[in-house]
Amino acid sequence: MSPAQTSTLAADRITLAHRHFTVAENLSVALPTGKVTAIVGPNGCGKSTLLNGLARIHAPAKGSVLLDGKDIHRLPSKDVARKLALLPQDNTAPEGLTVADLVRFGRQPHQGWMKQWSNEDQQAFDHAVQAADVAGLAERALDTLSGGQRQRAWIAMAVAQQTPLLLLDEPTSALDLGHQIEVFELIRTLSGQGKTIAMVVHDLASACRYADHMVAMKAGKIIEEGTPAEIVSPELVQELYDVSCDLIQDPATGSPLLVNVRRNSNFSTA
Amino acid sequence: MPDKRTTLANSSLLVLLLLAVITSLSMGTVQVPPPDVLQALMGNADPMTAFVVNELRLSRVVAGLLSGAALAMAGCLMQTLARNRLATPGIIGIDNAATAFAVASVVGVGLSLAPSAMALAGAACATAIAFGLAGANGTRGYRFIVAGIGIGAIAGAVTQVLLSRVAIDAANAAYPWTVGSLNARSGNSVLVLAIGLAAGYAILMLISRALNTLQFSDAVAIALGTRLKATRILGLALSVLLTGLAVSVCGPVGLIALLAPELARTICRPGKVPLTASALAGATFMVVADLLGRTLFSPLEIPVGIITAIVGSPYLLWILLKPSRRSLT
Repeated sequence: MSPAQTSTLAADRITLAHRHFTVAENLSVALPTGKVTAIVGPNGCGKSTLLNGLARIHAPAKGSVLLDGKDIHRLPSKDVARKLALLPQDNTAPEGLTVADLVRFGRQPHQGWMKQWSNEDQQAFDHAVQAADVAGLAERALDTLSGGQRQRAWIAMAVAQQTPLLLLDEPTSALDLGHQIEVFELIRTLSGQGKTIAMVVHDLASACRYADHMVAMKAGKIIEEGTPAEIVSPELVQELYDVSCDLIQDPATGSPLLVNVRRNSNFSTA
Repeated sequence: MPDKRTTLANSSLLVLLLLAVITSLSMGTVQVPPPDVLQALMGNADPMTAFVVNELRLSRVVAGLLSGAALAMAGCLMQTLARNRLATPGIIGIDNAATAFAVASVVGVGLSLAPSAMALAGAACATAIAFGLAGANGTRGYRFIVAGIGIGAIAGAVTQVLLSRVAIDAANAAYPWTVGSLNARSGNSVLVLAIGLAAGYAILMLISRALNTLQFSDAVAIALGTRLKATRILGLALSVLLTGLAVSVCGPVGLIALLAPELARTICRPGKVPLTASALAGATFMVVADLLGRTLFSPLEIPVGIITAIVGSPYLLWILLKPSRRSLT
């Protein structure tokens, strides 16, 4: 059901600035195809800015973002929207909008003023509401849903776009543990269907658990990149968050687990 | 997706509009029964009835219908662009600036441009200044609205100064129009409005999908493939065009742009910008308000702008004061 085609997304020496304040300079990153990439780092390190740069929301001051090797800002906006979907952090919606209405918006890049709702659109819609498990909520208004349900509805909209690439900006912020797991498992499922996914994640433990690839940022720079098992170390945690910890292997999944996290080794009670 | 709720809303509004038009054509100093109105419109009535309906009343009703539709559509559009229900051309000061410019041409300050062109120029100036003063936020946020309110106040003062400096006859002739009236319309302005409205509506229908996505955050709109800047600029330009042309016909009847889209949004399906329903509701409001103004205290005529202000102002207060969880405030 998922689109067979794949696309590549990469940043080539991009500089991202808000007005005159440079957030990140000379960043290069390529998303591994078919994998889940987590962008992690402390508050204000520029991870959301990088994601917005990759999603062409934030135009780079220098360098270029390449979608299938072409400058994303020179491609027609609709063509990009057929290859790349985004779940942004600010997802306010018009009052009274239903889940079905929202998910239908995901088909917009595939429609034109002559091309109305087609069978293909309906199939993509059905697939998306099923994948995100919101079929039962389709006629409910978004403002009546719980945070987790609402987030799943937004993910369903992005899935309905049927893009090979999916970017998510803190998909689990403001969700409780149960809903976080629900969303992360949905992301893993989508990855299993062949999507290339990048997400900004606040929580390093979740990133270790659910990402195949990790990009660690600090002060606008990428300081480490690789699989969680390769790059996550007490030293990296110290550098990113200024806290000390020990690492063990999760006996169930083999991913790194942070234990004994403390403010600084000097104050350790050990 | 066929959208039953919106279709139903639009058809109901169309029926209401037709009823309002026929009632308006039948009522006045000479009462013409509705069946005779229809006969007259089809060219089968006696010369007397035909004259009253087709010559005296029809052009005024058409002017009201077109200007109401244009103002309401411009209002709905600007509310969507600014994502704020208060951001209508009337409140942003576009109406007042268009009026000031048009009055300047009517009372004559050495300019001979037609009122339509002058009103358009005024509308464009006000928007450009408000946009410039709002800075990087563009039409988003309160700076745009606050700047616009200031410009509106200045433009209103300019109109008063212009009126106070010309001969009393000229000022008297221009006055009703400055509070909003369908009495002072010129045939040419109505024709230009009709053309502008048709063109504007066609373009808006073409970009309606993109406009729908503007109800979300910028990031969502871009992610769905909307060309954000182009859509905004086109939308703002059309809103200025519709307002300027409407004001050149009916004067600053700004509250229509607030009331009509609000009604349209209530009865249409959420998630789509209700441009058609706003236009139909605006046309109906204007025709009904003008009918009331003509007939309530006949033979004394109350300008349509005063009627809409009496009805609309409490409503504006209600919008401002009611506790709201709507995304458009």
